[in-house]
Amino acid sequence: MQAKITELRGARIYDPTHGIDGEVRSVFVSGDGIVASPRDPGTIKELLDLSGCVMMAGGIDIHTHIGGGKVNIGRMLLPEDHLAERSTRGEYPRLGSGRYSPSTLLAGYRYAEMGYTACFEPAMLPANARQAHMEMADTPIVDKGAYALLGNDDFLLRQLAGGADPKLIQDYIAWTLHASQALAIKVVNPGGINAFKFNQRRLDLDERNAAYGITPRQILLALAEGIHALGLPHPLHIHGCNLGVAGNVNTTLATIEALAGLPAHLTHVQFHSYGTEGDRKFSSGAQRIAEAVNANANISIDIGQIMFGQTVTESGDSMRQYAGSAFAYPKKSVIMDIECDAGCGVVPFKYKDSSFVNALQWAIGLELFLSVTDPWRVFLTTDHPNGAPFTSYPHLIRLLMDRSFRRDMLATILPEAAAASVLGSLEREYSLYEIAIITRAAPARSLGLSTLGHLGIGARGDITVYTDHPDRERMFKAPRLVYKAGEQIIREGKIVATPRGATHVVRPEFDSSIERLLDTYFDQYMSVRRANFMVSDHEIEEFGQSPLIRHTARR
Amino acid sequence: MSSRPATIEHHDVTCPFCGLLCDDLTVLVDDELHPDAKACAKATRAYAAIAPFAAPTIDGKPVTFDAAIAQAAKYLKRSRQPLFAGLGTDVAGIRAALALAERCRGTVDHLHGAALARGMQVLQSRGWHTTTLGEVRNRADLVVLVGVDINVNYQNLIRRYLAPAAALQPARRTSRRLVYLGPRRAQPSSPELPCEVIATTKSLSETLRHLQALLGARTVAGPDRGQALASLATALRAAQYPVLIWAPGQLDSLDGDLTIAAACDVIADLNKTQRAAGLALGGDDGGQSAQAACAWLTGFPLGLSFAGEQLDYAPARYNTTRVLAEGQADLLLWISTFARHLPPTHALPQIVLAPLGTELRGKRTVYIPVGTPGIDHAGQLVRTDGVVSLPLPALRDVGLPSAATVLSRLHQALD
Repeated sequence: MQAKITELRGARIYDPTHGIDGEVRSVFVSGDGIVASPRDPGTIKELLDLSGCVMMAGGIDIHTHIGGGKVNIGRMLLPEDHLAERSTRGEYPRLGSGRYSPSTLLAGYRYAEMGYTACFEPAMLPANARQAHMEMADTPIVDKGAYALLGNDDFLLRQLAGGADPKLIQDYIAWTLHASQALAIKVVNPGGINAFKFNQRRLDLDERNAAYGITPRQILLALAEGIHALGLPHPLHIHGCNLGVAGNVNTTLATIEALAGLPAHLTHVQFHSYGTEGDRKFSSGAQRIAEAVNANANISIDIGQIMFGQTVTESGDSMRQYAGSAFAYPKKSVIMDIECDAGCGVVPFKYKDSSFVNALQWAIGLELFLSVTDPWRVFLTTDHPNGAPFTSYPHLIRLLMDRSFRRDMLATILPEAAAASVLGSLEREYSLYEIAIITRAAPARSLGLSTLGHLGIGARGDITVYTDHPDRERMFKAPRLVYKAGEQIIREGKIVATPRGATHVVRPEFDSSIERLLDTYFDQYMSVRRANFMVSDHEIEEFGQSPLIRHTARR
Repeated sequence: MSSRPATIEHHDVTCPFCGLLCDDLTVLVDDELHPDAKACAKATRAYAAIAPFAAPTIDGKPVTFDAAIAQAAKYLKRSRQPLFAGLGTDVAGIRAALALAERCRGTVDHLHGAALARGMQVLQSRGWHTTTLGEVRNRADLVVLVGVDINVNYQNLIRRYLAPAAALQPARRTSRRLVYLGPRRAQPSSPELPCEVIATTKSLSETLRHLQALLGARTVAGPDRGQALASLATALRAAQYPVLIWAPGQLDSLDGDLTIAAACDVIADLNKTQRAAGLALGGDDGGQSAQAACAWLTGFPLGLSFAGEQLDYAPARYNTTRVLAEGQADLLLWISTFARHLPPTHALPQIVLAPLGTELRGKRTVYIPVGTPGIDHAGQLVRTDGVVSLPLPALRDVGLPSAATVLSRLHQALD
């Protein structure tokens, strides 16, 4: 029996994967996906007239902290956020709370409400993977996936210090992806989180970890090369050294140079684009970073835009978060050393437009968005919740699309900061086509999600329909219709269905003899058995009731 | 001749009976459960006490599961203020309990809610700097037990974490010192790692404040155990990775939060120039899982009410003792699937989800036997450090449903 076909007719389509830039076309949905125009029009059971609307694939957030230990610590640490923002009965299918550290249920609803249908947790500690997956399973509607953290775990550092065979590193990377049910690998302050456990308070690209004698550069290259050799879709996802430190623009440029053409993704690069010029020894390095990104086609970035107001910063970077805890607002923070694996730091923070540093951070993020020329290598993020909660995306889109609005906003920040940025002179306005690239097509391509981020035949039926409106914030805030896997989930701004999203993982092949080496290591040093460390498919599919989508590596 | 069931040997078994979740047990299963010598005394007793299949009862009379579910659903439908307490279950059970509590406008608390709230209060007021069991095992060179009585609970702490055979930093393991700070009655004794005792006569929080002053090179008038504390302060300053361990459930109810806050202040002072960290032991009977899952699902830790139009978080108010004492509930739904914890005394109708041995025969009581996670069904639990969670195996099948299954059936019966 043929599944029911729905025709979505009359909308202007923005599908950069297929080069479609605002053409009016019909899209046909059947089952969980997008299908070809049926030969027999009689099979069309439902026709929706979407004239005057804009259609894109469902949004994809490539870097958002939605699940795992540090996120949940943030929730427990900050009842003030949850008391201030609580949903009421009937507003959503279930109750929830929190603006910048939302409960999992509320996060899923609010992403869906904004037309986003896939979210990727970028900092899953393998030791904490089981809980991260539990939280993601309880984030409804959206598809999920996570990047496993490597590069501060004692196993890898010992191997590197002992001059391990690159093949072993590859096997370890592949095993970690399996064990933690991850989609990609991330490194956070390479070697620095480990060094902090030995009381090192900073670690630059070529400084040595006191315990292992190796440098962040060595760790970065070992991981980037290993990932490249395995043929993983997403390159090494890098949160570099010296996050938030004035002058770190040089570290970031040196990191790009160190990668020497290897594919890499530099995340929340706004936090890594600071110079030391001017009276306050804090300046924008955005133009230098943009030049380097423009000149190096192997590099992609996401921004980590900040917005003014209260939020909480949650990071694996315990070294830098400890330093940042001096500026916590309210005055409390959690720092953790974790399982010979990594660490974390949770520090609430309020960005103020009257602060020179914060106001310039805001401008630096926008400078980066507007100065990197290839939108396929820039992804829209606020590093939720570190720069701002994800609910600020519609506002951010307006800042990118509307020059006069951007100038009005620039006029409200501390004038000294505005004067220290070239933002006011940047004329560029993003088009709807470019917005569709940085929020859909490019993240999907970077993550190797061939059926997401576009509207072609065979794509999953993740579709967002906006009512066109010159106020882009208003337009992107409340889409008229959202489909998830072919099912209508938002109608006229209301949630009408709450399917469970899928979990995306990548499964590269590896030589299983590494498991014997790991068995010995786990027996000798770790607090759990190797078999129990690993998260099983059953736990995701049965306990979490989330279908697994298994991606393969190129090799 | 009676036929005995075949013996099955399970390896790498996670023990669900305290917050440590030791996962290196071997358990032989015939018609009983026999853990190997790696199980601590508490776990050995708990495995031995696992009961056979039991039938549901209504007011003490055996009934079918369907009849028990129908009667329990009737109570839930009639109730305007149900209290969901105990909550001694796994992650799946907590998920189901919270969904049902939201549906029924209930209040939720855990049987170790008071201890959990003690830690939470300190977290929410000042934050902290903590570590995990794996870090302690490999990196600690000085461990201070702040009033922790490991003779009665967390007995495997020494075997698995304080005195392991090897460590990534072997010198730290070799030179590791264990100091117990607290009342003399609870001092630990272990052949594997000798323990120095600093017996306190004042409250633990006062003692820790004294220690903090000594670390800051401040002089203190009329010191209690001054010499021993002064040498502990010196040792803390000299250590590379000192760890202070406390157990909220073992602390004095009036001094507990002050003690934890003082320990956190000591750690914060040390971290200004060197490294140090804290670790809380607790979250037994699924407590850590209940706290964590409640936080991610609702945004709030336990001590939560779903009665109103919005979530209401007030741990001082929504605790089992107070809710019952003040008549703020008209039905108790009690879940306790690990150790045998009886519900508190009250005069309300009650629904009890627990293994055999906790069945109640009073009036207006629906007893529904459920399995123990990690014995009767697979599951997941969060460990005491709040980072690691572990898979639980199914070791036997005697036909007992999980708490999650029963709660979901109750939920369906209301729709």
